[in-house]
Amino acid sequence: MRRGLAILMLGGLSLIADADPPPGDTHQQASTLIIHGALDKPYMRPLLADFRQQHPTLEVDYRNRDTLPLYRDFLAAPDEADVVISSAMPWQYRLANDGYAQPLKTPSAQQWPAWARWRQELFAFTFEPIVMVVHRELLERYSRPDNHAELLALLRQQREPLTGRVVTYDPRLSGAGYTYAIEESRLSPRYWDLVAALGDVETSLAATTGEMLDGLAEGRYWIGYNLLGSYARQFVAANPDLEMIIPDDYTLVIQRLAFMPRQAPHPDNARRFLDYLISRRGQAVIAGETSLGAIHPDLSGPGTAAAWRTTHGDALRPLTIGPGLLATLDELKRQALLSRWQREFKRDDSQSREAVSGSNE
Amino acid sequence: MIRRDSLYRRLLSWLMLPMVALGGLMLFQAWLDARQTADRAFDRLLEASTLAIAEQVQWQDGRLWLDLPPAALEMLATDAEERVFYAIYDDRGHFVTGNADLPGVDAPVAENRDTTDALFYQDIRWHDLALRLGVRRTHIEDWRQRERFEIRVAHTREGRQQLAEQLLRGNLMYIFGMALLAAITLFIAIRSALAPLTRLRRAIRARDPRTLSPLELPLPRELAELRETLNELLARMRRVRANQERFIGDASHQLRTPLAGLSARAELALRQDDPAQWHQALSAMHETSARTSRLAMQLLSLTRLDNPEYQPELATLDLGDLARRLVKRYWSDCHRQAIDLGAELPATQVMVSGLDWQLEEAVTNLVDNSRRYGATRITVRVSAAPPQLEVEDDGPGIPATKQLLMLRPFHRHSEDPDGSGLGLTIVDGIARSHGARLGLADGKAGQGLRVTLTFPEGDPA
Repeated sequence: MRRGLAILMLGGLSLIADADPPPGDTHQQASTLIIHGALDKPYMRPLLADFRQQHPTLEVDYRNRDTLPLYRDFLAAPDEADVVISSAMPWQYRLANDGYAQPLKTPSAQQWPAWARWRQELFAFTFEPIVMVVHRELLERYSRPDNHAELLALLRQQREPLTGRVVTYDPRLSGAGYTYAIEESRLSPRYWDLVAALGDVETSLAATTGEMLDGLAEGRYWIGYNLLGSYARQFVAANPDLEMIIPDDYTLVIQRLAFMPRQAPHPDNARRFLDYLISRRGQAVIAGETSLGAIHPDLSGPGTAAAWRTTHGDALRPLTIGPGLLATLDELKRQALLSRWQREFKRDDSQSREAVSGSNE
Repeated sequence: MIRRDSLYRRLLSWLMLPMVALGGLMLFQAWLDARQTADRAFDRLLEASTLAIAEQVQWQDGRLWLDLPPAALEMLATDAEERVFYAIYDDRGHFVTGNADLPGVDAPVAENRDTTDALFYQDIRWHDLALRLGVRRTHIEDWRQRERFEIRVAHTREGRQQLAEQLLRGNLMYIFGMALLAAITLFIAIRSALAPLTRLRRAIRARDPRTLSPLELPLPRELAELRETLNELLARMRRVRANQERFIGDASHQLRTPLAGLSARAELALRQDDPAQWHQALSAMHETSARTSRLAMQLLSLTRLDNPEYQPELATLDLGDLARRLVKRYWSDCHRQAIDLGAELPATQVMVSGLDWQLEEAVTNLVDNSRRYGATRITVRVSAAPPQLEVEDDGPGIPATKQLLMLRPFHRHSEDPDGSGLGLTIVDGIARSHGARLGLADGKAGQGLRVTLTFPEGDPA
């Protein structure tokens, strides 16, 4: 889902991981660390750099993947990675639930907030709200949609001019898009009205946040709905035509989950890195040098969950790390949700208008 | 107090043993109870979860359809963050949906399964995880469809274990408290029960070794019996000592008289110049000293016989042989005094176990007595059944009322200066050391004295 962004960044940047020798180097096996992650390298780099400063002799091999291939590859070979990082929370949860993870019992792990971990096995170490990004053109013409209700009203009222100008995740192609859809449908039944309205304006469907940001920057789209805030924030900061909106009624928050596989080839190094990710030092790097959002309870100020909570406290809805995530992965549930989503999205005009007039009354 | 093989330790261990066994049993029971209670509590969650899922199962597009409610899984997580698994199987056992291929239970299918739900719980091991499995067999309530299906949910046992441990801890406190109380009570009870024993021991130890007065201290019934027994023993010892004291007094008196006589005679003789007088005095002194020496001998043997520690080595001997030997020894002496000494012996041997020198002494004493008291005919008689040794004379005899008194030392029937009054006492002592009974009776025709030693029957054979 963020392949586009990764490719974008790849060109001019020399990546630390690429400089590392291949992991098959047997005589240095003990001092190697293999991380399989779904976290783009620009975000990972400051963390790895700081970690290597702490452990200069350690050779780190970081491989960035998309979330679903990462999941499948892990199941095929659970003994290859020392640490697995992914934002696909249900899939990560399922791996931990099935007993693929081993617990981390360091002091920082014991003190890690309960809402951001499961057992001592699965640790959330970022705080990434799902946001809207709008183009300046939209703001010049219409009012700014500050929440979902206003967005729904805007889509209904300005159906003609906004046709083809909206972009969002395709829940059929993207695991992230599917996760947001299922969470939003749980939060409010009015989500389906929004899906129908998105369908009415012939919303474009994308697979990654990067794709959506590119379209917005080019001016093809005026509204991007449900973008990963951590990626959008940096992008919007560099692009004066775009503005990021954090909905004030509800904002989903996803968190990247990391765990050590039970069959990790270098368990000691895995423990060191995982412990670093949730240490004060590692979290400070996340807060200061990335836009991922640190959640260490001692940290406050820009780029931390604490800062998010002070500004948008009531609206933030972090996904609960619990067996509810397993329901998301249920195949029948997925089929049911996607068929409903498609039904609502493809609702023909007459039905939609009736719905509009109905809700206006 | 605690020493090897002590009463205290024996009581304590015998009382502690059942207590420990009982305690162990209680612990085991408490553990089982805690487990059961925890399982009951957590099985409710499995029940509720399967019910919540069952309500969402529908018949759609010609197949089973489920909109899985997340809450049904979340309730299984509990505070212990359990791992959660679920699966739905149709009537033919085909997997419909779920996150794990959970095993079923081997439970019989109920007859009225179309109308009722059936619930089963089971502990299973699945992919190295200890799980509690809950299975609900139910069916769809639709207008025409009555499709049956099975919901299987499972979660790890950590929450149950925590609850069971918590319950067990509560029970442990209770059980250990009780055990401690019981142990302390037992300890105190045994100590106080054995305290009188210590008192008794101290009372005995604190006594002057020469005191023979009875023990006076309050004791519980069981020990009071011991105290009474001890007091009886002390009373016997008092009597024995009184006898001994009297005996020593009498003995000194008996020895003093001839010694005083000797001294007087010697003094008298020294005043004389005539050798004939000296000779006469010397022979008188010789006679007295011989008698005194005999008296001392008798006292010595009596002391020996009275010693309760004295256990002579008895040998088998023939009474007839003994009698024959003694009559032969004394016959000529008696003949000179015109005393008819004879023996009456049975044809066969009469074997008893005894010491021949003691029995000789007894017969010698009796024959001596008879000679001294003027008997003209003395018969030593041995009879077989029961084995008896008898000396009979035709002397003055002893009246029946005084016969028993004669057994006391220094008691003399007549004022005979030669007699010591020890003869019959010694015979009595010898009889007792042989286990024989001493009998005194009048002689034949109501005259004279007959002394009989009756030996235990069948002893030496």
